[in-house]
Amino acid sequence: MALREFTAPELPRVNSNAARLVPILTTTIAALVAILPLQIPGYAALTPALALMAVYHWTLYRPDLLPSYALFGIGLGEDLLTGSLVGVGALTLLVTRAVVLRSRRHFVGRSFPAVWAGFTLVGGGMMLGLWALHCLLESSLINPRNTIFRMVLTIAVFPAASFLLGSTQRVLIDGPRLMRRR
Amino acid sequence: MIRLSPQLRAGIQRSTLPALILLSGAMLVAGKTDQTMFETLRTGLSDVAAPALDVASRPLGAAEAAIDRVRGFIGVYQVNRRLEEENQRLLQWQQVALKLTTENRQLQGLLKVVPDRAVSYVTARVIANSGGAYVRTVMINAGSQAGLARGQAVITGDGLVGRLTEVGSRAARVLLITDLNSRIPVKIEGSNTGAVLAGDNSERPRLLYVGSPEALKIGDRVVTSGEGGVFPPDLPVGMVSAVGPAGPRVEPYVELSQLGYVLAVDYGLSGALPQPVPPAVRPGRKSKAASEELQTPAQPAR
Repeated sequence: MALREFTAPELPRVNSNAARLVPILTTTIAALVAILPLQIPGYAALTPALALMAVYHWTLYRPDLLPSYALFGIGLGEDLLTGSLVGVGALTLLVTRAVVLRSRRHFVGRSFPAVWAGFTLVGGGMMLGLWALHCLLESSLINPRNTIFRMVLTIAVFPAASFLLGSTQRVLIDGPRLMRRR
Repeated sequence: MIRLSPQLRAGIQRSTLPALILLSGAMLVAGKTDQTMFETLRTGLSDVAAPALDVASRPLGAAEAAIDRVRGFIGVYQVNRRLEEENQRLLQWQQVALKLTTENRQLQGLLKVVPDRAVSYVTARVIANSGGAYVRTVMINAGSQAGLARGQAVITGDGLVGRLTEVGSRAARVLLITDLNSRIPVKIEGSNTGAVLAGDNSERPRLLYVGSPEALKIGDRVVTSGEGGVFPPDLPVGMVSAVGPAGPRVEPYVELSQLGYVLAVDYGLSGALPQPVPPAVRPGRKSKAASEELQTPAQPAR
C-alpha cells in the first residue's frame, strides 16, 4: 500500500486566498447547519449528513483545498458541540477523504449519475460503518431504523447539495482562474 | 521558519491523513474509557460557540413564528369557537381549584405538613441540537452564570425534557430522556409503582424494573418519582404507549424534536445533600474528647 494514494493530486493553483478558503468554509457551514435547531419533527435524528456531502464533493474536485487537518478540526468541533463521542466526527470525515482519494480517478470527469452513485457507495458505506461502530462502542444492537432513514435522506438530498457546491466552485474557484487565463 | 527538504515535506504531507485517522481513533477509545476526559474542552467550546449559535438560530425562530402566524389566520374562526367553549369549562375548573387550594391549605395547617421545597426556574432557549442518529442532546443558551448546575431537571410546560449533563458559564447541554444513556427514576401515577425510564435513542423510551408490570395499562401517566433526590417528584414525563412481551414503552408528553424554550428546575437539593466527609472541628486529642462528650448525652437520660 502506498501512502501516495492518500495525498492530494496536483491541481491548477488558485491564487486568491479567499477562494482557497471556500471548501473549508462551506464544509464548516454544512456541519453547523446540521446542528441548528430546526423545528421539524424528527429532524435531530434524521438530519442529512451535510458535512459528508461537502467532504465528498471537495475531495473529488479540489482535495488540495480541503486538507486533512481542516477535516480533523471540523469533525472535532462537531463532536464537542453535539455531545457525541469525541473523535467520531473527525474519524468519519477523514476516512471519507481517504476512501474518495483512493477512488477519485473513477469519478472525476464522469457524468453526474456516476458521481451520485459514487456518493451512494461512499456515503452509504460510511453511515453503515458508523452505525456498526456505535453498536460496538455501546456494546448493544442499536435499532438501525433511524440510520437507514438518514442514509436514504442523505443520498436523496445529495443532488441539491452537489448543485450548490458545484455552482459555488464554478463562480468562486474555477471562474476567476479561467478568466485570468483568457 | 524551518526549511524542510522537499522529500521530508512530501513525507509529512503523505502521512498526515493516516496519522490524523489514527489520532481520532485513539481519541475515541480514550474518550470512551474516561468519559470526563474531554469535558473541559466541551464546555469551553460550547461557551465560545454559544453566542454564535444563539444568533444563527434566531432567524429560524423568526421564520417559524411567521409561518405559525399565517397558519393561525387560516383557522381563526374555528379556533375561536373552540377556545370560547374551553374557556367556559376552564372557568368552572378555576372555581373548583380555588376552593380545593383553600381547603388543602387549611388541612395542611391542621396536620402540620412540612411544606415542599421552593422551586426556582431558569428559562433558556435551545440553540443547537445533536444532529445525528446516535446522541439525543440539545444545547441551551444559559449556564452557571444563570444559576444552572449539573443534574438539574429540564422541563417545558408539557413535561420532562431531560437533565443537565454539562454546564459551562454561558451554555449547557441537556441529555434528553430519549438518549441511550438517560436513566430517570419514575413512577406510575396513582399506583406508586416505581420504575426506571431508560432511553434507547428511539422516540419512545423503555420502562425498566417495573414494580408490578401486570398492573401497567396503555394510557397510564408516568411521572418522576423524586428518588435519587435530584429531580422534584411528580413532574409529568409521558404516557405508557405500549405494553407486552417487548417491554413497556413511554410516549413523552414533550415533542422533543421541536424544543424552543425550556425551563431548568432548581429544586435546591444539590446543596442539601450531605458532605462526603464531615469536616474536623478541632485537631488533636481535644477533638476526640469533644466527640466523646458529644456521644455521652446521646444515652437516654433517666
